[in-house]
Amino acid sequence: MLAFLARRLPSVAFMLLATSIIAFLLPRLAGGDPAQTIAGADATVDQVEAIRQQLGLDQPLPAQYLDWLFGLLRGDLGTSLITNRPVGQLILARLGSTLELALTASVLMIAFGIGLGILAGSVRKGAGRFGLDSAISVLLATPPHVTGLILILVFGITFNMLPISGEVSILRDPVTGFSLLLMPALALALPQAAMIARLIQARMMQIRQEEFVDFARAKGVPRSQIVLSHILRNSMGTAVVATGIRIGELLAGAVVIEAIFARNGLGLMAVDAVTSRDYQVVQIVVLGAVVIAVLTHLFSEILLAALDPRIRLE
Amino acid sequence: MRSSTPLIEVQNLRTAFAFGSRTVPALHDVSFEASPGRVLGIVGESGSGKSLTARAIMRMLPENASVEAGEARFDGRNLLELDENAMRAIRGAEIAMVFQDPQTALNPVKTVGWQIEEALIVHGAAKAGARSRAIELLSMVGIPEPERRIDEFPHQFSGGMRQRVVIAIAIANSARLIIADEPTTALDVTIQAQVLRLLVDLKQRLGIAVILITHDMGVVAEICDDIVVMYAGRVVERGTVEAVFADPQHPYTRDLLHSMPRIDSERRAELPTIPGATPDLSRLPPGCPFHPRCSLAEDVCRTSVPPLAALPGRPGRLTACHVAQRLGALPPRTAAIEAPVADRQFHDQAPILVVEDLVVEFSRGGLFGRTPPVRAVDHVSLDLRPGETLGLVGESGCGKTSLSRALVGLNPISAGKVEVDGMDVTGFDAAQSAKVREQVQYVFQDPYASLNPRLTIRQILSEALEQRGVARGAREAEAARLLDMVGLDPSYLERYPKAFSGGQRQRIGIARALAVEPRLLICDEPVSALDVSIQAQVINILAELRDRLGLGILFIAHDLSVVRHLSDRVAVMYLGRIVETGPAAEVYARPRHPYTAVLLSSTPRPVPDADAMSRKIVLGGDMPSPRNPPSGCRFRTRCPIGPLYHPDRQICVSDEPALSGAGAQKAACHFPDEAAGLVPSSSP
Amino acid sequence: MTMSQTPVPARRPVLNEGVARYLRALAQPQGLVGCGLLLLLIAAALLAPVVFPGGVDQQSRDSFLPPSPAHPFGTDELGRDIFVRCIYALQVSVSLVIVSVPIAAVAGTLMGLSGAVSRLLGEGFQRLFDIILGFPSLVLGICIVIIIGPGWLSLVVTIVIFSLPQFGRLARGALLSEEGREYVLAARVLGVSKGKIMLRHILPNALDPIFVQVSLSMIAGIFIEAALSIVGLGIQPPTPSLGTLLNVGIRYVYVQPMYTAGPIIMLLLLALAFNLIADALNAQALKTRGE
Repeated sequence: MLAFLARRLPSVAFMLLATSIIAFLLPRLAGGDPAQTIAGADATVDQVEAIRQQLGLDQPLPAQYLDWLFGLLRGDLGTSLITNRPVGQLILARLGSTLELALTASVLMIAFGIGLGILAGSVRKGAGRFGLDSAISVLLATPPHVTGLILILVFGITFNMLPISGEVSILRDPVTGFSLLLMPALALALPQAAMIARLIQARMMQIRQEEFVDFARAKGVPRSQIVLSHILRNSMGTAVVATGIRIGELLAGAVVIEAIFARNGLGLMAVDAVTSRDYQVVQIVVLGAVVIAVLTHLFSEILLAALDPRIRLE
Repeated sequence: MRSSTPLIEVQNLRTAFAFGSRTVPALHDVSFEASPGRVLGIVGESGSGKSLTARAIMRMLPENASVEAGEARFDGRNLLELDENAMRAIRGAEIAMVFQDPQTALNPVKTVGWQIEEALIVHGAAKAGARSRAIELLSMVGIPEPERRIDEFPHQFSGGMRQRVVIAIAIANSARLIIADEPTTALDVTIQAQVLRLLVDLKQRLGIAVILITHDMGVVAEICDDIVVMYAGRVVERGTVEAVFADPQHPYTRDLLHSMPRIDSERRAELPTIPGATPDLSRLPPGCPFHPRCSLAEDVCRTSVPPLAALPGRPGRLTACHVAQRLGALPPRTAAIEAPVADRQFHDQAPILVVEDLVVEFSRGGLFGRTPPVRAVDHVSLDLRPGETLGLVGESGCGKTSLSRALVGLNPISAGKVEVDGMDVTGFDAAQSAKVREQVQYVFQDPYASLNPRLTIRQILSEALEQRGVARGAREAEAARLLDMVGLDPSYLERYPKAFSGGQRQRIGIARALAVEPRLLICDEPVSALDVSIQAQVINILAELRDRLGLGILFIAHDLSVVRHLSDRVAVMYLGRIVETGPAAEVYARPRHPYTAVLLSSTPRPVPDADAMSRKIVLGGDMPSPRNPPSGCRFRTRCPIGPLYHPDRQICVSDEPALSGAGAQKAACHFPDEAAGLVPSSSP
Repeated sequence: MTMSQTPVPARRPVLNEGVARYLRALAQPQGLVGCGLLLLLIAAALLAPVVFPGGVDQQSRDSFLPPSPAHPFGTDELGRDIFVRCIYALQVSVSLVIVSVPIAAVAGTLMGLSGAVSRLLGEGFQRLFDIILGFPSLVLGICIVIIIGPGWLSLVVTIVIFSLPQFGRLARGALLSEEGREYVLAARVLGVSKGKIMLRHILPNALDPIFVQVSLSMIAGIFIEAALSIVGLGIQPPTPSLGTLLNVGIRYVYVQPMYTAGPIIMLLLLALAFNLIADALNAQALKTRGE
């Protein structure tokens, strides 16, 4: 297990380093002079220069990067040059909304993904198989924003069952909160769930062909137990890794879904920040999204190792 | 000796495959019986239906296959009519099965103990006692330290040990019949001997009936009591092993036995062959399915299928041959058995290949971190002259393929020297590579992987001819000539590889190698993927081309019988080193290294011999990892004359023996005179 | 043998046979429907100025008319025909992926195969792909928009960068599996040059999955445009694209549901067409491998 971790860590560290450099460079690549932005259009050259020194922008880039990085590690996420407020505060204010959405969507994704996957991997004949295959294909081909819009058209407009925009924290008003949360969460979850289901289905089909499944039959093991102890048990690793990989994409979907459903979360904040050229905010959101994606992936691999003795005991 | 009541009687079993709306019959009227305390061998080549027969009895046919007719009476009950629950109660409890590949037969994420206990619990054993019974079973199949190993996972066991676990599961519920489907095919010959001995031992101790499904006549001769020969979904001959081997009464059985190269007989110039290839189930010829390949075929054979019937005057013998039934016995073979040929000497010629102290190392690792290199070939020296064949033998992982691939530049050379036709080519720079590829060519093992499925035969051969510099306009005629040379019709040029059988593909591979007119051919297990009846054809072509073109051949194989037939000299490899080398006749007759002796003794011979198994030296343990070879002599951890059995022989632990000997035969052993005594004298 | 009079060079028939295989694949029912649908949509987009001479911005006083034979999807807030705008929008969506996906396919494939020339180069590109794959598609899109500014170009760059690793990994996978094949080893032993081995043995086997991926990446690209344009970071108004239509349409979803449904129907038709084509190509690839 330790050897496995030791082998994975360098590439995780590399990913985090590369992402932090990209995030750091983003405002600089965007062009424009932050000192000029702060000072305003009619500031003198000296004023701008003073602000530049104050921000440390006169330092060489590597020094600025290290400065920024150590700031991050100390919990200093920087200050928005547009609103002049600490980025940490801005994020904290929006975090709750996105957290509610992301957690609900993740739960739905895992439930639908694994459920559909197991079902599709178990039903091997007839209309059931055709229906499941088609359902997964359609969900797979429809990304979150299109799914979201279709949900709005069907459940919000045609059947008028659910409210289509706005948000209330489920902590404050669980019923309204949840009814507002359901569609955006489903929109985020369904496409990723289909991806997970497809992987699980394929894995189960593959395991079914393995000789140890035949051998279990030859031992006299009942069919239900073969599915449980042999086929499903060997497909779990795939389910875990697939989930870990899809979480990142699911989070990123919030950028559009929050806009469509008018939810005041981090995704909408990021979009607004791009439009208002508030790059210090965007930079942190981008970094956060990638870091979460990389870490969930790593976590899923650790879980996989725990599930598979071939990796665990290597 | 024959038990009065058979345990299982299969009568007129028929199965068919459904491909869409089309039904293709697979088994035709298969009948046989197996009795307690006896081993029934069902022998046949790929597509003969032998595995399908086993699965039909277990009621575990593939989804698109079904039983059409017949019965399988086990203990008075017809298995084919039982419902799934009743059948499940029989599987694993009354009838158990051992599969071919121990690598895949065990669930990788469950401990070995769990898998044994599962077998016990599903048949009603109490959870409490299951673990101690599992430990007992592990020790019964010869797994050391069962208390510790029971909690390990399958990947922590070697292939041979895994197969023992599979057998432990099979006997867990005291099954009365064990069906073993090619149980040793995936194993090395020394491990095969261990597993076969275990099976025989269990049969005797527990009085169970065993059905052994195999393609290997040698295995049948050594451990089976009765034999059923299958061909194209039919039983063509049945009888006791002794009777069938002594006097086969179906032309297929007889030709098959004759076409096998023999480890224990004199070397002959040419092997008798069976023409053609095993037929495709969906395109069976009318009449007797063997008639297109049969030298005795008559008109009746082409139209009517011979029934399996008893031969008058030969009790217990059944054959499905019109000729044998009409005459009462097969007429004697007309083809004369060729006179033995002596080993040839090639000392007068300049060697085409000289290898000195070759080292091949592999290291794994990407951008981050590297593992220490593994030495696959460790200071190996050999030489080869035109017209000569050097057989390189050893078990999987011994480094023989790593060595041979290094000689053509496919593997990196870490140290040592390779000389081709007098030129040092160790560096494989442009000029050296050019020299190597015009002098040395390679024939690969897998005829299905060595031809690009997207290219026609003409394109495949043209690519090679282009390398020789044959002008574009002349390539077609030259390609046709090459095909003719390996015994294939030049009209095949426009076909794709998929249109050919394994044997034909291997010939195309040989033709491609010969296209550049090399003087040395490296053949890496060229026949091991082929059916036995096809092997002889390819072996003969290699021998003929060698003699006609004066080719040197480096022949790599794990099968000592095949090597014996082709080679003038042999070299035996173990864990990256050559442990013995010398003229083939001398090495086979009087090995001077115990490993050679063990290999010779472990190789099954197609000669029935009730005591064969008991006289074999069965080697304990597995080959150590080349990552971490033992000190001193590398074979000492398994050696039957080494410190394992003679604790005073510490020299084997401390000193690595050098390859030495007075004559042409050299061995790397501190006690070379004791090796020959290990080989059991072959049966009279 | 009269055939020997016209010797055919070895390489040509391979490629011809390759082309024929893909044509055969597309001639399957799925492929035909997919291609037909795609051609219909492209033709509609190209011919829009001829068929609807009024142009995309023709306004009228009749805003938010319900669907009718004259206006199949109804009209928008300015009384423009939503159906016409959807057809025009196809021009942007389709041209975007037709430009960007082939660039990504060629570049990604070359990057994936570069390992055959230099191990280091191949490894380097793999690390690059790892980084790109670490970025969810929309996060990547945001980064590109920041650097280039919103618009057509940043969408092209986003789709190219997003698709690169998909092609690169497929190509590298094919390279690694083909490199170990015995027929490639046999060609090496014969001394066949690296370039010829690549062209004759490796590339033809790598192309199957790559063509399938081209279809799939087209869908992904079209959806990326929609996503970024919905939040205002993609195509900028007044140019109609499926995403910009949705950006406005969602605001009027109660009064004119067709404003949202119309572009979605177009999106789904495009996705269906490319999916059918991908399925047909995939079936052919599986058939060849099964041989």
